[in-house]
Amino acid sequence: MIWLTIISMAALVFASRYLFLEPKLPVRLSKNTLTFLSYSAPAVLTAIFAPIVFIQEGKLDLSLDNSYLICAIVATILAYTTRNVLLTTLVSMGLFFIIH
Amino acid sequence: MILPLTIAVIPWGILAGSFALDAGLSPLESQAMSAIVFAGAAQLVAVGMIKSGIGLTSILITTLLITSRHFLYGMAMREQISPMPLKWRLTLGFLLTDELFAIANQGKQHKLDPWFAFGGGFSFYVGWNIATAAGIIAGQSLPNLDSWGLDFAIAATFIAIVIPSVKKPSILLCVLVSLVSSLMCVLLDIQGGLLIAALLGMASGTLYAKLTGEKT
Repeated sequence: MIWLTIISMAALVFASRYLFLEPKLPVRLSKNTLTFLSYSAPAVLTAIFAPIVFIQEGKLDLSLDNSYLICAIVATILAYTTRNVLLTTLVSMGLFFIIH
Repeated sequence: MILPLTIAVIPWGILAGSFALDAGLSPLESQAMSAIVFAGAAQLVAVGMIKSGIGLTSILITTLLITSRHFLYGMAMREQISPMPLKWRLTLGFLLTDELFAIANQGKQHKLDPWFAFGGGFSFYVGWNIATAAGIIAGQSLPNLDSWGLDFAIAATFIAIVIPSVKKPSILLCVLVSLVSSLMCVLLDIQGGLLIAALLGMASGTLYAKLTGEKT
């Protein structure tokens, strides 16, 4: 069952990555669909990271004791001001492993 | 850009390896997940679902939802990659992660060097799999690895990717709606919260851009 899960997941993930790289695929997406899709990366990535940052042990944690939140705020400020991925990830992860 | 993202992948890979083991996968299955599926977010969410005993159909629907952003990446890179030979298309398609998309779309170069993309993508692949192996080994000896907060690496990476992409008010709205609704879904224990939150965010951004006549 685990192997079936792994292989079917792999097929699905690869298909999603490869589909639009196939030149024979006749792409006919409307402008509205493309506009809608253009928001997928920020929307999906945010929906993945937000619960990690804001929810601890099943509860919303907005306190200063939440090291995930503190370091996420630091990462946000660094990403916004420097737009430097290296600096943002290394400094915020480093800070996290120190204070966590 | 390749180095920092490879470093950021490591804690996350360790988590994927130890978490898979914790969910009851064998070491070989845990490693195969990273070697064959090679999709961080999808792996972590799927392993969590396996642990909770959720069925294959739900796992695949959730995987499709999480992986659906790759349709967009494929579309965005179609012009550059689709004229390449089949072996490059298959290779770069397999390696097309958030990280590869981020490095391939830096700067203004219109022509993508397949070897550059491969170098980056393969570096993430190797880093991810070595980290997974480390997680499997550590997970067997350090049972409370999940309390180390390795999942913060996911948040740090995604924040580093998302924040610079917020270039228009509609994207800001999309991010805020997705953020708040993803939290609501988790707090209210709603199944498929990721899908709901992402779609709400995307719809809000699209609608806002349409209503305000924002330039695309």
